[in-house]
Amino acid sequence: MTTVTGEAGAPRRTPAARSGVLRQAWINRTDYLYVLPALVVMLIVIAYPIYYTIDLSFFKTPPGLQLKDKVFIGLENYTAILTSEVFWRVTLNTIIWTLASTVVSFVFGLGSALALHRDFIGRGVLRAILIIPWVISAVAASYIWKWIYHSDFGVIGAVLVELGLLSRPPNFIDSVNTVLPSLIVVNVWREFPFAMIMLMAGLQTVPDQLLRAAQVDGASAWQRFWHVTFPHLRSVSTVTVLLLAVANFNSFIIPWIMTGGGPSNASHIWITHIYELAFGRQRWGVAAAYSVLLFIILMTLGYFYVRALSRGERKEAEG
Amino acid sequence: MSAIADTPAAARPRRRKPIDGWRWAGRGFLVLMLLYTAVPMIWMLLTSIKSGFAAMQFPPQWWPSEPTLASYQKLLDPQNSVGQDFLRFFWNSLFVSSVTTVLSVAVAVPAAYAFSRFHFPGRRFLFFSVLLRNMFPAVIFLVPLFILMRFLGLVNTHGSLILTYMTFGLPLAIWLLKGFYDNIPIQLEQAARIDGATRFRAFLVIVMPLSMPGIIATAIYSFIGAWNEYIYAYTFLTRNDQLTLPVGIQRFFSENTTDFPGLMAASFMMSVPVVVLFLVLQRYFVRALTEGAVKH
Repeated sequence: MTTVTGEAGAPRRTPAARSGVLRQAWINRTDYLYVLPALVVMLIVIAYPIYYTIDLSFFKTPPGLQLKDKVFIGLENYTAILTSEVFWRVTLNTIIWTLASTVVSFVFGLGSALALHRDFIGRGVLRAILIIPWVISAVAASYIWKWIYHSDFGVIGAVLVELGLLSRPPNFIDSVNTVLPSLIVVNVWREFPFAMIMLMAGLQTVPDQLLRAAQVDGASAWQRFWHVTFPHLRSVSTVTVLLLAVANFNSFIIPWIMTGGGPSNASHIWITHIYELAFGRQRWGVAAAYSVLLFIILMTLGYFYVRALSRGERKEAEG
Repeated sequence: MSAIADTPAAARPRRRKPIDGWRWAGRGFLVLMLLYTAVPMIWMLLTSIKSGFAAMQFPPQWWPSEPTLASYQKLLDPQNSVGQDFLRFFWNSLFVSSVTTVLSVAVAVPAAYAFSRFHFPGRRFLFFSVLLRNMFPAVIFLVPLFILMRFLGLVNTHGSLILTYMTFGLPLAIWLLKGFYDNIPIQLEQAARIDGATRFRAFLVIVMPLSMPGIIATAIYSFIGAWNEYIYAYTFLTRNDQLTLPVGIQRFFSENTTDFPGLMAASFMMSVPVVVLFLVLQRYFVRALTEGAVKH
């Protein structure tokens, strides 16, 4: 695939070849000053917690934060997790939650971005309205939807009853079977605008001439999308999907506020479960072991994320 | 590309029809998305102007029969205890978010510039390790950070939140801004330096103004992130007078609340500042994403 980049990347100083890394570092020593503040903050707030969590995961901990009394127990926390039933239930929930939220948000975002790409009256207003759910806080969103799903006075239930489709309002979030899909609807509501913005930005990089040329050649709308537009969206799509997947995997507020993981763990995902283990039941060691497992999963995802990003980097460096 | 060239000329006369089909499909889809997006927000507004009694009816009042602003008056009345709390939480949120924004920009700008311009060893590694922050959920940092904040004496202060919030904003901020700096021709700075400006001065006078849209976008992103943050505020703050809005709201509408109009009014008020900010400045944000994130 040949890439059609608009213009060559900005010219830059080429690093002096063949000099030692340390010498390079010394020559460029003032450059580090620019990055230093960011690094110090990141180091305090990230590196230390990671080290701490890994360490704690090998200990049996007393409740409360009197962590001096912890006892080394090796891998016991890990075996306890992997043999518990809740773990598998929560893992399944997490997979469903992450996959469904990511796919649906992406599809909705792509559809909206494509439909909004053509100019029409009211386009700006419509775009702004569609973005609002992404901007407002997840806490507000959770309360709004909790009210909409209310089992006695919820508006969706009322509409269904008024239309004669049901005799009484359904339980959306109090029932084991419907709670997860209901929460996914809320999550998608907040997330698809993000995909939409990213893809709208991506669409602007599709050269108009190519589309017009394809049209002149008699390509159908679908063919133009599939053969011209979509290849140009590939890299932004990869990044968007990865960011969505990570954000969904890490979500907390919506399930926590709307259901607290219930009923009977039906809407617990990894993060809410870890939170409950740590701050609800004060099982710090187990929660830490969970977190380490989480790290491993996220690092795997992170590997693809960085690869997707650095492909862009390299392309640009060659440009 | 080849498939397009292969399309037989005979297909041309039928071209118009499917295009219109797609266009109408697009319109229909937008209408559905508009309903999905707007109906919950409209219902929030309609509920917020009902009385508590009017909200609890079945079938519901589709349109409030006696609209009232009582919920809003209660929230904004400094004489009332709910109003007092709400206004204090609002002020706390504003303070924390503003300070976070200023500090994040101050830290992200030089870092992004360095990642874009300089070639010090370890540059790529550092850049990606900064981006990796995005990967990790808040929850796994909670316990260690709580202990760290206790060590630093920052528990129950807004400082703990500001320090933490800066780190969420930074990765995306640095990434966005780096994209911006990559697109500013280095010759501009070189010209300034030939004229005798130091590198720092060239940066300040030439690069900063050109990257203003990126900086604004970064600032919006930090502000909104800080304004909406919940988990850390929920864990680090216990004193009632310190709470920020997302946590505070929960405190005065307990689990078994029946005051849904009040809750909806509070949700609305909490959303107003960020929505207004975003709508006013959204073109910068979209532009920054286009130039920063997507062009790579």
